[in-house]
Amino acid sequence: MTAETASTSRVLPPVDRAPLRRRKWRRAGVQAACVAITLFMALPLVFIALAAFSGRAALNEFPKSLVPSEFAVDTMTSFLAGTGTVPALGNSLLVGCYTVVLSLLFGAPAGYALARHTFRGKDAYQLFVLLVRALPIVVLSVPLATMFLNFGIYDKVVSVTLVHTALAMPTTVLITASIFVSVPTDVEEAARVFGCTKLDAVRRTVLPLALPGLAAASIFTFVLSWNEVLGAAVLTLGHRTLPAQVLASLAESPQAYRFAGGFALVVPALVFIAVMRRYLLNMWGSTLR
Amino acid sequence: MSRPGASRISRRTVLRGIAASAAGAGIAAFASGCTGFATTGNSGLVFLSTQFRPVEEAERFRELLRTVYPAEVSYVTSEEGPFIGQVRTQHDANSVQFALLGGVHGDLAPLVDGYLAEADGLLGELGDLGIPPEYLDLAKLGTRRSWYVPWAQASYLLAADEDALGQLPPGVREDELSYDDLLDWAIAARRANGNRPRFGFPAGPAGLLHRFLQGYLYPSFTGGQITTFRSPEAVRAWEYLRELWANCVPSSTTYEMMQEALVAGEATIAWDHMARLVDAPRTQPGRWRLLPAPRGPRGLGYMAVVTGLGLPAQSNDRAGATDLIKALSTASAQVELLRANAFLPVVRAELPDDLEPALRMSAEAVDAQRAADDAILALPPVGLAEREGEVTKVFQDCFRSIVLGGANIRSTLDSQARVLQRLLDELRVPCWAPDPVTGARCEVA
Repeated sequence: MTAETASTSRVLPPVDRAPLRRRKWRRAGVQAACVAITLFMALPLVFIALAAFSGRAALNEFPKSLVPSEFAVDTMTSFLAGTGTVPALGNSLLVGCYTVVLSLLFGAPAGYALARHTFRGKDAYQLFVLLVRALPIVVLSVPLATMFLNFGIYDKVVSVTLVHTALAMPTTVLITASIFVSVPTDVEEAARVFGCTKLDAVRRTVLPLALPGLAAASIFTFVLSWNEVLGAAVLTLGHRTLPAQVLASLAESPQAYRFAGGFALVVPALVFIAVMRRYLLNMWGSTLR
Repeated sequence: MSRPGASRISRRTVLRGIAASAAGAGIAAFASGCTGFATTGNSGLVFLSTQFRPVEEAERFRELLRTVYPAEVSYVTSEEGPFIGQVRTQHDANSVQFALLGGVHGDLAPLVDGYLAEADGLLGELGDLGIPPEYLDLAKLGTRRSWYVPWAQASYLLAADEDALGQLPPGVREDELSYDDLLDWAIAARRANGNRPRFGFPAGPAGLLHRFLQGYLYPSFTGGQITTFRSPEAVRAWEYLRELWANCVPSSTTYEMMQEALVAGEATIAWDHMARLVDAPRTQPGRWRLLPAPRGPRGLGYMAVVTGLGLPAQSNDRAGATDLIKALSTASAQVELLRANAFLPVVRAELPDDLEPALRMSAEAVDAQRAADDAILALPPVGLAEREGEVTKVFQDCFRSIVLGGANIRSTLDSQARVLQRLLDELRVPCWAPDPVTGARCEVA
């Protein structure tokens, strides 16, 4: 820039390329860091997937090679053919989705109230909403099982959903509250000025802007429900979720099954996160700037 | 704009109607999905058990149930903690949804206060099956009546490959080892392998090393498990284990099932649960031997894992469950269980000629352990249910500080004994074998 504006008659000063070089290095550094973080996250998944689809003999080889010497699907198929594995997968999906819907249905309004209104005991409420996580699930689930038995909803997906919703409520409320805070009140007021009712204003302006936060909250909820074992194991007998049905016993299974089970556990959660990803990116692009 | 007559059914009302019916359909789908999909496989009587939880074992056992019992059985597995929780809550809510309970002795013992039906009549009907008297004694759970029918047994053994057997100290027989012989053997194996140890222990996070401490080292050296926890003999036992550990494969702290390390060639001598060793002789027949555990100054301490079948006090199918117990107590059914999941029969059973050599070997080694003149039967902790992990942790912590951390043995045992005593005081349980079972609560001397 300085070179162009200077008069052409004089000798040009040497161009200082240092800042440019620095910038290049920094960019390369950022790229390298991105690659390193991606590898850090992806490599274990790749290895689990490779191991899940390799033969038993290949797993026992010592020293182990990076890419297994033979591929086989027999562990995976016998894992999936196990009694109740596929229905349990279905139950897990049902419980996960119901829990997401229920916890957003109840948690998001609570988060909105925390963000928009001041009321007596607000701080205490924010603290006590976390209390349900302070009690171990073992302590909670036994009396709950008795109650569900008496109400006739024991051993049903809905009973597990209720427990998971209660467990997910604190994170849902706190995450959605922080998102609603970041949506400016002006937008809502403008909508009111143009004739929206209060509910309409929320629906048409606040909710679309808060969508990324709701997506983040739903990912937390889904993964929590997907991984929960103890409550699901005590509250069900013949309609189990995947962790309660098979995954709890993986630690004592042969290696081949651990990889197959680990793979089965990872994939649906990854798919869910991939679906929710566009809303999350939206959040990083807008609200968290 | 709109015609007056048609204003009743505008586009908006139609759309609202569609939206409402879609919501209704959604709610209906939700309601129908409330129960979820059945994961039991069929609708027969429910057999709730803590055994054979891994998918493969569970499938083999379901297959066995189909062959030995004509009606359908839903085999449902559960971890120890939830198992007891479920039995108690369903009983207390008067809505028992299972007909038969299966578990190791320690899973059934906590249910003796009203949750199990007496099994004396059933045992009488079964007649003399040749169940070892010490197991029938166990089934009494410290009372005068029996509460379950012993079902299968397992134990812990040594495995060694043929090369390692050649390194035995001269004049020592491999099936009559003492702990000092074992140490000499581990040293000889290390020297023969370029000073790299060949003896392995399952000391990984999910390994069963604590069972070695509770059922083998302590009984063999001190004659007890809890009462002798901090005795002078216990100090000697820990000194011994330190020496043995110095001759162990260093990656023992990552092993969970020794068969994997044995097959991979990382170790040639190992101690573990027989079900966690048996794959080695199965995949490499002719290379591996399974041996009874060594004996110490007080005798041959061994741990028996005894599983039993119990009838719940309230049952939705008492007759079916009784028939199922009878079917599972036949010699042929128990041999099939040995074939399927490597659990040994408790009834008198002739082992068939076509039995896998690996299973025959483990059956013989377990028998040799139990039948030894100086055998000391030890049990995994009884009556602790989900708190058992805390007793396990006491033993594991001792191992970590004394053997791995090199801490002072006397002071470590004293401080861990206090932790153990506090736990036993809270639980108020009587001791279990090899400690005397008398008295209301177990005490560390």
